[in-house]
Amino acid sequence: MEEEYRMVLVGVGGQGILTISDIIAIAAQKKGLRVLSSEVHGMAQKGGSVITNLKIGKELHSPTIPVGCSKALIGLEENETLRYMKYLEPGGLVITSKTVLYPVTWKKDKNAAVLAHEKIDENLSKFDARIIRINAEKLASEAGLALAQNIVLLGALSQIKDFPLSVEELKSALKTRVPSKYIETNVKAFELGIEAMKKAN
Amino acid sequence: MVRVEELIENEEKRVLVLGNEAIARGAIEAGVQVFAAYPGTPSSEISMALIAAAPELGFYAEWSTNEKVSMEVAYAASISGVRSMIACKHVGLNVAADVFYSALYMGCKGGFVTVVGDDPHCFSSQNEQDSRWLGVSANFPILEPSSPQEAKEFTKMAFEISEKFEIPMLLRTTTRISHARADVQFNKFETTYRDGELEKSPRFKCLPGIARANHPKLLEKNETIKEWIPESGLTRIEGPEDNQFGIITSGISYSYVKDALLMLNADIPILKLGIVSPLDEKSILKFAKSKENIIFIEEVDPYLEDRISALLVQNGITPKIHGKCNGITKRYHELNAYLVAKGLESLFGSKIADFKDIEVAVTKTEEYIPFRPPLFCAGCQHRAAFYELSKVVKKNDGIFASDIGCYSLDPWVSDTIVCMGASIGMASGFSRVIKDKPIFAIIGDSTFFHTGLPALANAVYNKANFNLLILDNRMTAMTGFQPNPTEDIPIENVAKGLGVEYIVEFDPYDFEKGKKTIEEALKHKGPTVIIMRKICANEWWRRTRRKGEKIEVYHTDPEICIACGTCIVRYQCPAISWSIDTNSKGKQYTVIDSSTCTGCSVCSQICPTGAISKVE
Repeated sequence: MEEEYRMVLVGVGGQGILTISDIIAIAAQKKGLRVLSSEVHGMAQKGGSVITNLKIGKELHSPTIPVGCSKALIGLEENETLRYMKYLEPGGLVITSKTVLYPVTWKKDKNAAVLAHEKIDENLSKFDARIIRINAEKLASEAGLALAQNIVLLGALSQIKDFPLSVEELKSALKTRVPSKYIETNVKAFELGIEAMKKAN
Repeated sequence: MVRVEELIENEEKRVLVLGNEAIARGAIEAGVQVFAAYPGTPSSEISMALIAAAPELGFYAEWSTNEKVSMEVAYAASISGVRSMIACKHVGLNVAADVFYSALYMGCKGGFVTVVGDDPHCFSSQNEQDSRWLGVSANFPILEPSSPQEAKEFTKMAFEISEKFEIPMLLRTTTRISHARADVQFNKFETTYRDGELEKSPRFKCLPGIARANHPKLLEKNETIKEWIPESGLTRIEGPEDNQFGIITSGISYSYVKDALLMLNADIPILKLGIVSPLDEKSILKFAKSKENIIFIEEVDPYLEDRISALLVQNGITPKIHGKCNGITKRYHELNAYLVAKGLESLFGSKIADFKDIEVAVTKTEEYIPFRPPLFCAGCQHRAAFYELSKVVKKNDGIFASDIGCYSLDPWVSDTIVCMGASIGMASGFSRVIKDKPIFAIIGDSTFFHTGLPALANAVYNKANFNLLILDNRMTAMTGFQPNPTEDIPIENVAKGLGVEYIVEFDPYDFEKGKKTIEEALKHKGPTVIIMRKICANEWWRRTRRKGEKIEVYHTDPEICIACGTCIVRYQCPAISWSIDTNSKGKQYTVIDSSTCTGCSVCSQICPTGAISKVE
């Protein structure tokens, strides 16, 4: 690998973004690659909008990814995906869940939520990107673990062509990171993510 | 968080850790023996890691009531000959300032390190203070790491330098170092902890005559360190020797410079300073001498720029200076590689992408993106408390001085938030000039013990008329559920001991009683103390689930709900949302998420139609 691989992972605090960035980091480290990620802690952690920057490579410097510089964007909530689209490099890849989590501001204005959902495809396509939308909520339930939407997306991102880590490398890191009684359901969620991505491709 | 077993494993290995955890490991490798801290983002993980490691390794670590106390605890250990450390956020360093201005004069014995976490961009803070100024004004030698690995190494070096020159050291990080996660090389260490011994000497009494003698000694130490820096390896020069440009940088900004130069495809000499006070004058002058242009890249304040520009003038070196003075970077918010590259492109005659298309797309879509503010958690006892208050305060047009903690998120009543413990002093002040309205101070248990105590003594002594509301959620929740004295010291006893005559307590989940209690308190001359006591709902919920105990949740009857929005829009409980389906009248209703409901019952108490009840 010549260059560093840059990826942003976005969603709402509590959706498990730190868990998947952790799994990717574990896999990269095992492979002998350097990892550098930048996380949000403190005030915005719960229920707030969250972005994690992740870099994998041989020589890494700054921990953040500026606007227009990320090769891929992984979104766990579709409105958060839209919020952070600007970080994607022109022509970059987006894998986003169709999940919608309502912020308090939308509880006051129900129409805004409906309108945003209707317009999501149109809005995402205003950016120069390849966009893959996955029903992570449904697939996670199918796997038997509603909380594992993040792992569905981890499976999906394992299919990115120039991603420096293989399916097997990610899967084995996944197994070391989740509680042992949930390994089976998580692996199932991971595999459903792979399938969904293959279908989309 | 890295597991404590991994953090303390005495092996040579690479481990994925946060910058803050790397600092904790550095302290362990250096043999820190006393550690004390008050939590504060972005520094808290240093303390959480060391406080977890302490009983395993056999050293002493504590959560102190405030930063000043923590520094006194650690300083006493240091002058008794053992290595000690504190960690705090930038504004916490201000609280400790009274200690270190004197401690620097007196010097130390065992390595004594203060870690300060600055927060450019105010991710979790009330300002963007650049602590290098505070450090240099007290003559602290200051180390600035550029990566999690360096954070670990510099922590170890800080102990060594401190001991070598008998001087307290400041290690400055920023959020992007503290909360960067990277694979960091761990090294083996020794744990030969020993008892301290205080050498009786007038040196440790900062009386005027002694202080007068100590001041020049402190300046001499800084001079000696200055001469030593070139051999320390803390200063690094990179890039080609022969170039009209030269960049001077330190800390996280160095990493931005590295990536910016890659973006610009430019090979420019960089002088990276690992120690930013005292300045490595020899290396700086040598670097700048042959350059026509010196560029300073640093976040927030022009600290290096101002100090080094003066140094160059004093030495008759006059390159063109670029930096904050001509807008290469801004004087506020954080930097990144792109911002640095954009600032540099015109100087180097190169051009980087503009991302105009992205800007256009952002403008076209931003109206659809919801504002998602951080909120009180589901079941939060503060939400209940503030909702009750909002009813009373609004009715009475009260003045509301709030404080620092989770409760700073209150969307309804707070008028002022200044700094830790300020609520009580501010309320005292308001009470002197605003006579026709009820005055409230609101403070959490941890902040009360941090700096609320002297302010309450002041209010009682000077007979200030206001109502002090203490939100006792049994822990320091905002920074990660740390314990504090409220566990063992009943706040009502403290208030009574300080002479408060009217003290009441209630459970904020009891909505009607809460309103009545506050209204009753308003009839009494202050300061009155109203304690709203309930364990942090988030932590209680986690503990209960971990124990496998059942949580009695609530639900809405779709046919009784009139979709008035009291529970969703006004009370703003995040566990409640609008239904997708409609009821028999064709109306939407509210739905309570049983996986996040904590069973606090407040929604059922405020529902005007009685549609919400416990799931039987």
